[in-house]
Amino acid sequence: MREILRNLSRRKLRTGLTILGIVIGVLALTTMGSLAEKSNSLIDGGVRYFSDHVTVSAATNGGFGGIVTIDKAKEILNVAGVQAACATTGGPVKTDLDLSISFGPGDQLTAEQPGCSQYENFKLTYVSGHAVDTEGTGQVVFGSDIAKEFKKKVGDTIQLPIPPKKFNPDYIGHQFTVVGVLDKTGTAPDSFALVSFKDGQTLFGDALPAALKGHVDPTTIATGINVYGKPGQDLDQLANRINDQVAGVKAIPPSTLVNAFKSASIVLTAITTGSALLALVIGGLSVINTMLMAVTERVREIGLKKAVGARTGHVMREFVSEASVIGAIGGLIGLGLGWAVTTLVNLALVSGNQAELFELSLRLVILSLAFAVGLGALAGVIPALRAAQLDPVTALRHQ
Amino acid sequence: MAAIELTDLTKHYKQGKNIVKALDGVTLSIESGEFVAVVGRSGSGKTTLLDLLGLLLRPTAGRIMIDGLDTGTLKDGERATMRGERIGFIFQEFNLLPTLNALENVMLPLRYRRGKDPDGKARALRLLEEVDLADRVDHKPSELSGGQAQRVAIARSLINDPALVLGDEPTGEVDSETSTQLIDLMRRMNRERGVTFVIVTHDMEIANRTDRIIRLKDGRVLSDERITASNGSLAGAPLPT
Repeated sequence: MREILRNLSRRKLRTGLTILGIVIGVLALTTMGSLAEKSNSLIDGGVRYFSDHVTVSAATNGGFGGIVTIDKAKEILNVAGVQAACATTGGPVKTDLDLSISFGPGDQLTAEQPGCSQYENFKLTYVSGHAVDTEGTGQVVFGSDIAKEFKKKVGDTIQLPIPPKKFNPDYIGHQFTVVGVLDKTGTAPDSFALVSFKDGQTLFGDALPAALKGHVDPTTIATGINVYGKPGQDLDQLANRINDQVAGVKAIPPSTLVNAFKSASIVLTAITTGSALLALVIGGLSVINTMLMAVTERVREIGLKKAVGARTGHVMREFVSEASVIGAIGGLIGLGLGWAVTTLVNLALVSGNQAELFELSLRLVILSLAFAVGLGALAGVIPALRAAQLDPVTALRHQ
Repeated sequence: MAAIELTDLTKHYKQGKNIVKALDGVTLSIESGEFVAVVGRSGSGKTTLLDLLGLLLRPTAGRIMIDGLDTGTLKDGERATMRGERIGFIFQEFNLLPTLNALENVMLPLRYRRGKDPDGKARALRLLEEVDLADRVDHKPSELSGGQAQRVAIARSLINDPALVLGDEPTGEVDSETSTQLIDLMRRMNRERGVTFVIVTHDMEIANRTDRIIRLKDGRVLSDERITASNGSLAGAPLPT
């Protein structure tokens, strides 16, 4: 090992440049990879979050923006296989357009009818405080990202929705007290502000276009209905039954949502890891080049080693080890830099009131290091073969 | 028993269309513990002979027996192992590894041995002491004089207690005073350890300090003379070629 390091330090500039090549490759792999990991974990969470129920929204508008009336929930309860139908309301936390870079849905005010949390697969846990009083008003529970973003802890007060930066005559704000902060989930609830259903309806009503405002009673409306199936009920079939039997609503089968999430995730992962691997392959080529030069320089040394008993395998092993060490050093430095970059960017984003962008997972760390070392070793094979096949007499007399 | 037995040893090279007869039917035997000098002009085949003895080359024809073993039957890997364990090498340009210190250079052949060798380091230190370099153990080759470097190489050649040490112009790179010291050191190792030495040299001063001078010309043995220990002059009649 000491000899390897001394051999590498014989040509400091060349070794340094080669290591730099690997560093850049691993840096690309870790940053790109942690970008993909972050989106994957958001998506995984999304899948878990959305796959335990059927999401029902207004038929006319599609998506999540329309209005359904609470009566529809009672109608849906009559559909075979339905365990519970819970109206939900919500809206954006910020009144200004949210331009932050984020894979998630952005900060969301959400509320569900009382008594519904028992049906959710996704159980929320609290860093501090407790859930909002489902019958009360003026209480809010923050997800971990949103709490960080607005620097709020239990007991603090906040105006919701967040007032616009420029004066807006339509803005109506309400004073809320933070009663709980959620544990980090790595997915959607991190950017949720949970309020009671009553408050959710009020906030939703405030946000309605002026034309609608006078005509609807805020206490009868919701943005959607989460339908939970009876145990063993296939939710896709349930969604189809709701669409058939209940007029004026659109039920989205969970598998549709899940598949949309997953295909987005595959494309993103392919793009990011592909570009990072490309960077690493270029690094690998520079290792091959360096090691070929090292073989040329050390022809006599190789001849001597063969003269004193080194077999082909011994010479191979020495050169492959040297190349692996280049890979390992480059990998460690690249990983360190990648960690620094992702951590700093995350910190900067969070302090700029935005969600984290990177997730440097353990499997990514292991993968990057293994890849760097493996690539180094692989790149060392061709030069090592050349070294090992040298004829000892020619090698010894080499000038 | 003879340490080395060469029978009709022949090595031909192709050089373009011509065939170069580097060695052309050499038959000799060298006794265990002998100190032999091989002399001759350049192109006489002396280096080829040494390379063949060191199992670095395979002969075109003929047989090399070392310690009763026909080396022609060995595979490449076995030849490497035999080089490592039974044969030591001393080169004109020392061939020490620049990144290793004196001790590590002496220990280099141990790296390629089969099995564990727990007292290899102790042996290396003792050898460095014997070649009078106990105070240069940590020095890199660049910090050693030519004579010191060659003494490290001599210690390296003996680390595996070989039966045979081969020297290719071992005094070719140093001044005549150092040459004499080096050949005396090799002679001492030869006597104390009973190791057979075969060295190639063009320096008759050096050759005259050995037991026997084999003179090659055009790939054949021209003469094979023994030297009396008393006066360093030639004894016996030249052998017919």
